[in-house]
Amino acid sequence: MRTLFNTIFILGLLVLAIFPPAAHADYSNLSVPQVKYKGGQPNPHPTAVGSLLGQVARRTSIEVNREPLQIKLSDPNLYRYPFLYLAGNEKFESFSQDELHRLRNYLSFGGFLLIDDNSAKANSKFDTSVREMINELFPQVPLQKISRDHSIFRSFYLINRVMGRMQINPYLEGINIKGRTVLIYSTNDFGGAWARDNLGQWTHDIIGGGSRQRQLTIRLGVNIIMYALTLDYKKDMVHLPIILERLRRSHSQ
Amino acid sequence: MNILIEWFGLDPEQYNEVAMNLAAKDLSPVWIIVLVLAPLALWFFWTSLKRIQSPARKIFLIALRALTFVVLVFMLLKPELEFKKSHTLKNNIAVLLDDTKSMSIKTFPSEIPRIDFVRQTFERNRDVLESLKKNFQVDYYFASNQIEPASLAELKNRYRPKKTNTDIENTFSQLSKRYEGKSLQGVMLFSDGADLTTESETISPEILALLVDWQGPVHTFQAGSNAMFKDLAIEELESADFGFIHQPVRLTVTISASNMGNKNIPLVLKEGDTILLSRIVEVREGQNQYPVEMEFTPGALGKRIYSLTVPHFAGESVATNNSRDFQVKVIRDHIRVLHLNGRPAWDSRFLREVLANHPKVDLLSFFILRTMGDDVASPTSELSLIPFPTNLLFSDYLNSFDLIVFQNFSYEPFIDKKYLRNIHDYVKQGGAFMMVGGELSFQGGGYEGTGIEEILPVQLERTSQPFIGESFHLKRGKNLLRHPILQLEKESSANTKAWQALPELNGINAGLKPRKNAHVLASFDKGNKNYPVLVAGHVGEGRSLVMATDSSWNWNFRRVGEGGSGRYYYKFWNNLIAWLTDDPETRLLKLEADKERYEEGEDVLLRVRVLQEDYNPSVGTEVKLMIKSREGEATSETVKTDDNGEAALQWTPMQEGFYTAKVKVEVNGEKREAEIGFSVFSETAEFQKPKVNETLLKRIAEVSGGTYEVLTEKTDLSAIKFANPKVEVKTHSKSVSLWDNWWTYCLVLTFLFLDWFTRRKSGLS
Repeated sequence: MRTLFNTIFILGLLVLAIFPPAAHADYSNLSVPQVKYKGGQPNPHPTAVGSLLGQVARRTSIEVNREPLQIKLSDPNLYRYPFLYLAGNEKFESFSQDELHRLRNYLSFGGFLLIDDNSAKANSKFDTSVREMINELFPQVPLQKISRDHSIFRSFYLINRVMGRMQINPYLEGINIKGRTVLIYSTNDFGGAWARDNLGQWTHDIIGGGSRQRQLTIRLGVNIIMYALTLDYKKDMVHLPIILERLRRSHSQ
Repeated sequence: MNILIEWFGLDPEQYNEVAMNLAAKDLSPVWIIVLVLAPLALWFFWTSLKRIQSPARKIFLIALRALTFVVLVFMLLKPELEFKKSHTLKNNIAVLLDDTKSMSIKTFPSEIPRIDFVRQTFERNRDVLESLKKNFQVDYYFASNQIEPASLAELKNRYRPKKTNTDIENTFSQLSKRYEGKSLQGVMLFSDGADLTTESETISPEILALLVDWQGPVHTFQAGSNAMFKDLAIEELESADFGFIHQPVRLTVTISASNMGNKNIPLVLKEGDTILLSRIVEVREGQNQYPVEMEFTPGALGKRIYSLTVPHFAGESVATNNSRDFQVKVIRDHIRVLHLNGRPAWDSRFLREVLANHPKVDLLSFFILRTMGDDVASPTSELSLIPFPTNLLFSDYLNSFDLIVFQNFSYEPFIDKKYLRNIHDYVKQGGAFMMVGGELSFQGGGYEGTGIEEILPVQLERTSQPFIGESFHLKRGKNLLRHPILQLEKESSANTKAWQALPELNGINAGLKPRKNAHVLASFDKGNKNYPVLVAGHVGEGRSLVMATDSSWNWNFRRVGEGGSGRYYYKFWNNLIAWLTDDPETRLLKLEADKERYEEGEDVLLRVRVLQEDYNPSVGTEVKLMIKSREGEATSETVKTDDNGEAALQWTPMQEGFYTAKVKVEVNGEKREAEIGFSVFSETAEFQKPKVNETLLKRIAEVSGGTYEVLTEKTDLSAIKFANPKVEVKTHSKSVSLWDNWWTYCLVLTFLFLDWFTRRKSGLS
């Protein structure tokens, strides 16, 4: 009897391991898969996204899936995840025409892509690869600096500086399609400022600004995710008077 | 003359006149020939006859040649005799009698209506008018903005002040056309001159231009006068035929006051018995017109009837112009949607895009960005968050929304429970509410036992797992395939294919039990269990809908990933918005009138369309139509719907006013009602400019060479004189040619032969 019970118990565990129960959170909650690509190092800070999502869950009402996910652009499940994170610190292989077509469609019809240069160097090889890829992706729409009155800088926190692990550029760049920013590119190594080890310690020191700089980078990450989920909500008239008043006060201080 | 007529073989009784005409239309070639050839001929005659010695023979030859020349000219002129029968006609005189409503206005102090001055004048001058008929053709016309023939004998019975528009220019224009080619020797115009197309005490340049070339004099007779004329009137009212709900509607009003003294007069705008607006108009002696601008804001949709009134004072000449009713069709300029999101998520993000991009939607959305348990790690001053304006949204401005959407939204701690009751009342009174699923909706949002549960088309059952992470395809309700919400494509098979092509959904709210009268448009079956997903229902006057999943965005973004587009996702949500906001095309019972305004006596056509629950036509259904005026029921009739579920009723209203048409049907035990309003107008413009226009009548007489006179008991029409030239009219005629015949040609040949013979005898060749 005991043997039978043990057998059933072990088989049950196996079934659970092979077919994990569908958690409803998988459908409703925010997942941020990291884009897998050929060449280079697609995941220099493996814990960065999970750490940021932890901060999002702690600070906002957004429900998240923190399990690390990696996805190829050719993956049939790509459209289950409207937010993608593409990171790296080295040169990577050009995307195939099929991948570019899928990514173009993905972004044009509702998807969002955050690209993060983790090299902490100006004009890095990763930067060159990214710019080449974007040129091929949207040859008619150039990458442009994102202005300070963009919703990204007020979607949750009121932000007036663009930080990262190291401030290579004091701005973000992006691509707009039909009034929506579909792609944001940062050269400041956001992932390096977000990443923690298994014990919860920051894995990288901040270059130049200390913990305030790290906090601002986390806030910017929260804001980018909030923007992807609410778009220009914070530009609705109902929010403007209060936001403008707070911005005026922060400037006068 | 008779001999001549008989000589040409005609009957002398058929003709009484003979005239010679020249048939040659253009005589200039004849005269050129005469002037050029005559001197040449004389020179030729003289030189050719030089050798003839006998003067008598010479004269004879010259005479012969002159005669030949004359006959040839005679032939070139083509003379002919016209035998004709003609008779003498009488000259015309037109008598115009103003029969517009303003002629019913009394003149003080005698208190005689203007029209009676005309009637009395005709009574007293009957003999004069009869004798006028001996020498003239006297034609009588009723005149308003057109002319209507009448006769002297008919005047007693037919002459009534009933027409609604005085337009003297148009009257004279029609008269001119009527007498084109005839001899009109004069016009007698009996009127108060209260022309609606011209300002009081003026005359328009158009009328003057018409009269300058008028062929006879126009004698004008003024009926009534402005002496002691006391009146307060809403002379003009300009308003748009339609306005937008909760948006100001502008009224431009002109008040006119005559002999009203110095008074402060209230101008009041009412809807039914409710006063909407009041304005004091300071009336002062010496000023006749007072422009007033007003604005009011309609608070309800539909055809609204408003009344604008000024008080009626004792001694006023006209009472009817102290109030004006008008109708404004109040419509939505935009569909105002309040969209509350419990948390930022993909489902709410994609739905916000639908609402924000909908051309008719004014969107006010709120996302709950942080909960009480969240640690934002920042002072409030560094956050963009704003306080949730609960009181404003759910108390002050609740009724300004057309649709409220709760998407994955738990009301606590953001909305006090008492406000949920406000939403309940708002929907019952005609609002629209939709709850979109998610963990924080339905039981997850704590809505059991609240006012919100009462308005949902589902009951919230106790369940241990209110939200299930299940993937599923929707199954449409078999009986509701024609429901407008489910129409992604017009054609049935294309629509079925469209639904089949939609990606699966993930996550479903459980423990929802459809209410009795709710429509389960789509559901998910798992084993024996049925999960309603898309449920619609009517709540009081309003509509309510449940979408028990938070994954409809799959139909947009995931569909794109499968090679399709988000078209059906947008279409689906647009259908939902249309149904929830009671778009006319989504109604099961539709009542329409062919017009919004009718003139008195005009037929009203009402059309009804009855659909069954599944939106198929309800054939052979008895439809009870009732039409009511403000005073009570006007008519009631029962008709049956045809194969298209349609029925119609034609009805003629007998009097002016505002009417309500109501239709009642019972389809499969369900009672339905619909109501519309329409108005029947009797034109009262004549009373808006009621004063006698003395200037107009004087100037008409002056310009045309006629006389002007104010009608009194002593008015004598015999003093009016008209020219009476002789007018003859030819009834038939016959023309006989005098040159195109054999004896004219023989005469020419004879003369030429005699000339040749005489010259020959004289030894010439």
